[in-house]
Amino acid sequence: MATREAGKKMIMLKSPDGMEFEVEEAVAMESQTIRKMIEDDCADTAILIPNINSKILSRVIEYCNKHVPTTGATGAAASDTVAPAALAEDLKIWDAEFIKVNRATRFDLIQAASYLNIKGLLDLTSQTTIDTISDNSLEEIRSFLSTKNDYLPEEEQTIRRENQWAFQ
Amino acid sequence: MADATSAGAPPLLPGLLDDIVICEILVRLPPKALLRCHAVSRAWRRTTSTRDFLLAHHARQPALFITSGHDYGGRLHDRDLITYDHRARAAGAQLQHVAQLDERDCGLVACCDGLLLISHNMNRKDACSSIYNPATRQYAPIPALCDSKVRCSVLGMYRHHPTGEYPILVYGKNKETAYRHEEEICFYDDACYIFALGSVQPLRNIGCPPDVEQLLLHREATTAVMFRGNLHWHIDQNETESNMIVVFDTTAESFRQMHAPVVPVFRNVPAYADLFDMDGVLGMLSCDEAADTIDIWVLQDYESEVWTFKCKIEVPVIEIKALCGQYDDCWYAVVMHVDGELLVLVQYAEWLLQIDMDGKFVATFHRQSLSLTKLQLKQTLVPHTFFLTLE
Repeated sequence: MATREAGKKMIMLKSPDGMEFEVEEAVAMESQTIRKMIEDDCADTAILIPNINSKILSRVIEYCNKHVPTTGATGAAASDTVAPAALAEDLKIWDAEFIKVNRATRFDLIQAASYLNIKGLLDLTSQTTIDTISDNSLEEIRSFLSTKNDYLPEEEQTIRRENQWAFQ
Repeated sequence: MADATSAGAPPLLPGLLDDIVICEILVRLPPKALLRCHAVSRAWRRTTSTRDFLLAHHARQPALFITSGHDYGGRLHDRDLITYDHRARAAGAQLQHVAQLDERDCGLVACCDGLLLISHNMNRKDACSSIYNPATRQYAPIPALCDSKVRCSVLGMYRHHPTGEYPILVYGKNKETAYRHEEEICFYDDACYIFALGSVQPLRNIGCPPDVEQLLLHREATTAVMFRGNLHWHIDQNETESNMIVVFDTTAESFRQMHAPVVPVFRNVPAYADLFDMDGVLGMLSCDEAADTIDIWVLQDYESEVWTFKCKIEVPVIEIKALCGQYDDCWYAVVMHVDGELLVLVQYAEWLLQIDMDGKFVATFHRQSLSLTKLQLKQTLVPHTFFLTLE
């Protein structure tokens, strides 16, 4: 494994389109999938991340870089001067900016977060979709899902009647 | 759950794998939104109706404190079932109206797996109980707990893992009257009973050990906490006696005692204390009104019964009084362990306050007849046959 700074282990992540990303081990280990590979000693050289293109992978690394707990010499100094509440607020604002992407990118990020098992990123990226389905009318949900209504009108009426209160 | 979608069928949500839609999106929808999804299309209804899916959905629902719904004494006619969702991102959106309870004088007595046990006409001759699922709006009276000859008080409700049944543990005061020399003599056959929801069997007597007598003397203030599959109650004692925890072993159906940390005594009244599940460890909070602090204790090694002091939370009483006006009232707190942190809610007069570990306000709410309970609602759409059986 490569080492850049003293005491900081580096890991090489490779996307299927041939790009290589050198990241700190601690950052890569934000992904439970990669953590397991490293702990099982399957990460001697570079780790190939299948199905995640370089554009998405670089965004995932960006997220992990921001969210890795600040430890070590510089990190400890930072957390001494900044209150945890302020840090959390700063992360929230950063997250809100991070997730301002188009739908296709958001879905790619959901799949990447799911495969790499990064809980925070998965929560962040899927919440928009959860909110869309929770807060909109049936017609708006169908249009969002690009799903055709294959019920007969009377069938749909029956389903609505079963749980009428849920449609109010 | 993969079998929910057949090969070649169009995806549930184009751009995402069905497995991800199911395991990351659909299981996290609130119950009401999920019921609406039934009407989206046949595929969506099929996917969101299987028992496996509904169990996974229940498992992913958050456990939320119920902050209203109590209606003791019939003076406060506030039967709105409201939960406190600390995750709400919009300011003021933490209080969420879930459902409205029945018209009659009723109170929430227990909650397990999204099912609410409700008592009606409490402390009256026609006292009765019913079971209610606020997520499905299903409701059924429990005739076995509505027998006027036996006055039942509910001690707890739990899921019996081997059978999947929901037994209710009650304490029954069975009054029998006889006459001797024309003088009325009453016999009390007091005992604990178990009744499984949906069962046609009568209440099953499991005896009444002396520990339970203690429990019943004090139980007004305490609700059972489910931990390691058993029910736990913290019993506040007077200053001369040590504190204890009564445990009901749901497998052996027997009671035993455990040690509890010693809590401070103020004006001869011990501090209010209660138990909670702290991420797989039994936790205890004790509210010291003299010092305006909440102490948190943990039982790291359950078998050893040795408690460790974890931390002290300062309740910002001066700020609270400035906010609420100078009521002369007591505060009451509940604590839940969630996402690696402690969620602390304090009720003071008509105010509900969320405070952080440093005693700073996170959110404040003013509501009339608001009642903070320590019951936690984790909603479920899993179908239960007892809603049909009991009706």
